[in-house]
Order: sequence, then C-alpha cells, then structure tokens
Amino acid sequence: MSASGSTQSRSLRKLFRLNIAAKQALFAYAIILPTLAVIVIFRFLPMLQAFYISLHEYDLIRPPTFIGFRNFIDLVQDPLFLQSAWVSFIYVVFSCVPVWVLALALAVLFNREIRAKNFFRSATFMPVVMPAVVNAVVWTFMYHQDGVVNTILAWFGIDPIPWLRSSKWALWAVILIGIWRATPYYMVIFLAGLQAIPQRYYEAAQIDGASSWNQFRHITLPLLKPTTLLVMVMSVIVALKVFAVPLIMTGGGPADATRVLPLFIYQTAFEFFKMGRAAAMSVFLFAAVMIFTIFQIRLFSRGED
Amino acid sequence: MRLFKRFLAVVLLVSVTWICSSTVDAATAPKQTKPGFAFPTENITIEVWWHEYGPFTAYVKELIEAYKKLHPNVTVNATIASSTDMNQKLTVALASGTGPDIMDADASYYVAYYAKGILEPANLGVFGVKSYPELAARYVSGGLASGTFDGKIYTLPYQGNSMSLFINNKLFAAAGLDPKKDAPKTWKDLMALGPKLKKVEGKRTVQKAFEFPYHSPRWQLQDLQPLTEQFGGKLLSDDGKTAYLNSPETLKALTLWRDVTKACGDPKNTKSTASNPNQDFLDGFTAMWITGPWATPQVQASPIKNDFTVVGLPQVNPAKPHTMVYGWAWGVNKNKPENSKIVAWDFVRFMLSKPDEWLAKAGFVQPIKGVSETPVAKKFPFFNVHMKDVQTATWYMRSENVNEIAQAVGRAVDSVVYDDADPKTALDAAQAQVEKILKK
Repeated sequence: MSASGSTQSRSLRKLFRLNIAAKQALFAYAIILPTLAVIVIFRFLPMLQAFYISLHEYDLIRPPTFIGFRNFIDLVQDPLFLQSAWVSFIYVVFSCVPVWVLALALAVLFNREIRAKNFFRSATFMPVVMPAVVNAVVWTFMYHQDGVVNTILAWFGIDPIPWLRSSKWALWAVILIGIWRATPYYMVIFLAGLQAIPQRYYEAAQIDGASSWNQFRHITLPLLKPTTLLVMVMSVIVALKVFAVPLIMTGGGPADATRVLPLFIYQTAFEFFKMGRAAAMSVFLFAAVMIFTIFQIRLFSRGED
Repeated sequence: MRLFKRFLAVVLLVSVTWICSSTVDAATAPKQTKPGFAFPTENITIEVWWHEYGPFTAYVKELIEAYKKLHPNVTVNATIASSTDMNQKLTVALASGTGPDIMDADASYYVAYYAKGILEPANLGVFGVKSYPELAARYVSGGLASGTFDGKIYTLPYQGNSMSLFINNKLFAAAGLDPKKDAPKTWKDLMALGPKLKKVEGKRTVQKAFEFPYHSPRWQLQDLQPLTEQFGGKLLSDDGKTAYLNSPETLKALTLWRDVTKACGDPKNTKSTASNPNQDFLDGFTAMWITGPWATPQVQASPIKNDFTVVGLPQVNPAKPHTMVYGWAWGVNKNKPENSKIVAWDFVRFMLSKPDEWLAKAGFVQPIKGVSETPVAKKFPFFNVHMKDVQTATWYMRSENVNEIAQAVGRAVDSVVYDDADPKTALDAAQAQVEKILKK
C-alpha cells in the first residue's frame, strides 16, 4: 500500500517537473485566467445569448418562442429597419471621413513647434472629456433659433436654420457633433503615431531636398499606416454605435431622420419589448462592424503583400 | 339620571368619532367601509415602485410612514425611478422575478402587463365592496376604464389628467384679447386667433399663438386621438386588433392639425423636450398650449405665475365635446404571496383614500366622484374645467403596442408638418406599419 502510494507521488512529481518556459507559460495563463473568464462571461456569452434570442419571439415576460430566422427575414423586408440602417450608414460615412482628415491635420499641426502648443492641445481635447449627455444638451441650446450657431450664421446674413427640427438638417446637425467630439480623440492617436516616426527620416529627406508635401506623402503617411488603420477601424465602430446624442437631441426624429440603428435597437428592445427582433438587429449591426473591419484590414494589408 | 349621562356620553363619543372621520375626507372613493378580509398579523415586507416627481415622491413617503404606524407589522420598501425609465425597469424586473408588490405605471402600459398575466385584480374585500361595478361606481364615468380588463378592475389611477387648453393672459392682453371672452371653443376659433397672437420678425418666429407637441410621439398620439374622436372616428378598435389610422376621420384630424400648425405655430422652433414638455409655454413663447392639471405648479413657478387661464379642449363640435384623459395608476403584482397581495391592495386603498391631499400635495387629480367638492379642489385653479374635460374623455389608447403605434402616428405627423407630405399618404404609411405590428 505504501509502496504503491510512493510510486503515485513520484509519477505526479514527474508530471509537474516542467521546464522553465512551460512554468512561465502556465503562470502567465494563470494570471490572465480571471480576466479571460470575465471577458468570456460578460462579453462573449451575452453575444451568444443575443444570437440565441434573435431566433425567438421574446417580450421579456412570456417565455421565448422559437421562430427560426423569421426575425432576420422580417428585418430585411422592413422599410423602417432599412431606413435606420441607411441613416447609420450616412452617419458613419459623413462623420468618419472628415474626422480622419481633420484629426490627421490637427495632429500634424500640433506635432510642430508652435506657440502655446500644450494649451491648444488641451483645449482641442476638451470635447472628448465632456460626457456625451452634456454635449448633447449644450448643443441642443446652441442649435436653437436664437442659439450660438444661428447667431453666427446671422452675421453672414444667413437665415436661422432649424437644425434639430427639420428632417433635412437634423442628421447633419448630429453628424457635426460627432465630428466635433471624435476629431480630438483620434488626433491624439495620430499624434502618438507621428511622434513614433524617427526624426532622422525627415532629416535625410531634407538633405535630399524633399519638399514638405513629399515628406508627408512618402514618409509620414506610409509610416502612419498602422495608426491610420487603428483610427479608421475604431472610428467606424464607434460611429456605428452612436446612441446617446441622437437619443437626447432628437429622439430619432423628425420623421426618423436621425434614428440610427443602435437607437432603433434600443427602442425595439425597451420601448416595444421585442427582444428577439432587437437581438436580430444587433446581430446585423455586429455583422456590419465585422465586414467594415475586415474590409479595412484587407485594404491596408494589400500593399504589404 | 346616571343611565342618561352614560347614554349622552356614548352619543357624544360616537358623534365626535363620526365627525372626525368624515372631516378627514368627505369625498374619498376607495375607502374601506366594512372589513371584508383578514389583515395578516405576521411581519410582512412589501416593495412599492413609483416614478420620480418631487411632490409626488414626498407625499408617498409620507403615506408610507403613516401606514407603518397603523400596521407596525408591515414594512414598506420604496424604489423610485424616472418616468421615462419606469416601464423598462419594471418589465426587466418582472421578467427576472424581482418586481415589486405594488407597481406604478403609465395607465396605457397596463394592458401589456395584463396580457402577460402579471396583474392581480383588485381585492374587493379590502375596498369593502361586493363587486367591481360597485367599486367603479365610486369613480366618474369611465374613470377606471384604463385598468378594467374582462370586467375586472386591475389598476387604480392616482392621476387622471384631462388635456385642457392653457392660456397666457399677458400675451392675450398684449394682442388686445380677453382670455375669458376670446378663449377658443372650437378649432376654428383657435385658428382665427393665429394672426393676432403669432409674431414673426423677418424669418424668426418670436411668438407662437398655439402649438401641438413635437417632442414625443406619445404626446402626438395624445393630441391626435381626441381630434380623431371629435370627428367621430377612433384610432384603434376596442379590442385593440384593428387600426383606423387612415380612416376619413383620422385624415380630417391630421389635416386640421396641419392647418392649425400653419396658422398658429412654428414646430421648427421649440425648446420643449421630453423632460420639459411645457417649456415653450412657460417661457411665454407660446400663447396657448394643451397640457394637464399637473402642469399648474410649473406654470405658477414660471414668470407667468397666476396670470393664466385654463379652458376646455377646443372642439370640432362643442355640442358633442370629446377629450382625452391620461394618467398613471397603481397595480399589484400577481406573482407574490397571498398575504403580501392583501397588504399591497390595502396599502393602495390607504394611499388613494385622500384625493384632496393628492391634489394639494402632488397636483394630481383622481377621477373620483365628489372630489370637486373638497376645499382643496375649490382652491385649485380651474379645477372644474379639468374635471369637466375628464367627464367627456376617453382614456389614452390601450394597446400592447401603444409605443409602436405612437411612433407610427408621430412619423405621420412629422412628415406632414416638417416635410409637407400629403396627410393621406402619411396616414396610409402609418396604417400599413400598424397593421403589420397588429398582425404579429
């Protein structure tokens, strides 16, 4: 009995006699395990649950009824969903593209030796620090008939624009806030990217007589490629998820002009209590984000291949 | 002689007790006339949820303390949520089995809770009545209609607001109008006031004569419903299964809405929001505005102070008045232990037993008979106007899909007002959307 016991303990010791690399790897896994568990439980499981719910009719109270892909089929035939997806698409295109250009331009500007650089950097960053709700409330007042924006327009003889109370203007008003709020954030990311480019490349280019534009085009832009990819992917994802500003400023109106997809998902889930349908919309949104991201990564990696 | 003194003492005691109890509330409706139930004697904890509104919260907390003194074995826990979040929070909590014993919800949402089997019918014994009609008889006609399902009463309203027309006296006087004599009785009268009260400088509107709401689809439904009914139509069948959004009556209502807006309003300029729906009126930007009696304290606290008049909702035909009543009500969770449900209904009865206090402390009007006779009601500005509108009202639309229907109505109204869409086309689209919703 005791002999067999000692044999067992020896084999166990042998099993755990690992080399240093294996022990380090084991230790590393042990350290990340709690975080990984949290991510799996609170991120991936809800995503899987959302997909599961999307196959059901579910109003939160009565038990879910399995309906297969009917929610998805209904969605692609629903003009309100398609209108909302279109509004989101317009929002993404017209808020992200200007942000990329402006953020890069500001980053290049603030990367130079200019007076009161730190003050201007901080001042530019202010919109990012302000909570979205505060932004929305402040801009609502600014967009009013007698608000700051229309007052400035009046100096140039332009009649007041009903920014938030016109289906023609409301989406552009919301897009403008998106640009104002996102630009400084991505400017900081571009700035970090610019500061990581070794100065000697520019010095060598200057010795060779390269103009500022050529330096920007042939040194800055190619070396900023990973940063640009990050900015593009992040900004598109953030723009696709915009919610608080349209909810507070317009509630999606007038006449659905600003009802972006996340807002429609929220209304479907928590105002109409159609959880299955809302989950199906979320799956669509997730797919859209994935497609955009994969497309962007492919686009950027093409040159490298 | 001793016997006579004893008799006199008893008579006096009975008289004093009767006088005291009758002065507490002469006009209350849901009071317990005869205990027809056994009040639990063990320790019981109930949970009550309500929506945040300062004076309302303060009063309910006061009632909780008073009830605890009456029943030391009962603990009442309170949870307060914003009015916009209440329905979401309640539904999620009920879904996860953590819902309250007593819930407070917009009366139009209860049909969904009823359909989902969450509501406990009113405990007749608690209210000292033998039947539901007997309980309903304590209220004005239709006062409990929002919470009556299949002949049983499931919810009791603590506020049933009329939608009446508030007038800014100063703006009327500045236009040479008398708010009493010139107050509009019909929509035609109201439109005729447009040119006198609406002021535009260049392309800037500096004062509106009247405005319909545009800050929330639910408010838009709130105004389109009585308009449609004034033309003799309705938006939804009584069983909630058929929509009449593109009926000739609804078309007339939306066309009138558009014409009134053109003559009197400017929907592109407003500071009113979902959380501050009365803002344009409070700012003196709109001379006339449809709202409920609950807005009275807000108006009094604004620069308008007491310089306002309230008249009945304008009508298509004043001989056949039709208005709308909107409110919030208490309901009891069916999925709770029996004794908790008894205590919950008893606490609801207790809370609602002093409608004059509700009016004085929270500004809420219970649609109860006799409330107009209380001293508080007599002091409340234009109380009789509000009550008169309640008496000719139908409740806000009852449907499991009320929010989606409101969205469809709001979309139709917005497209007509903001995008100059043809009302018929807009209503056809709304009807198609709602038919699709109801079909499911």
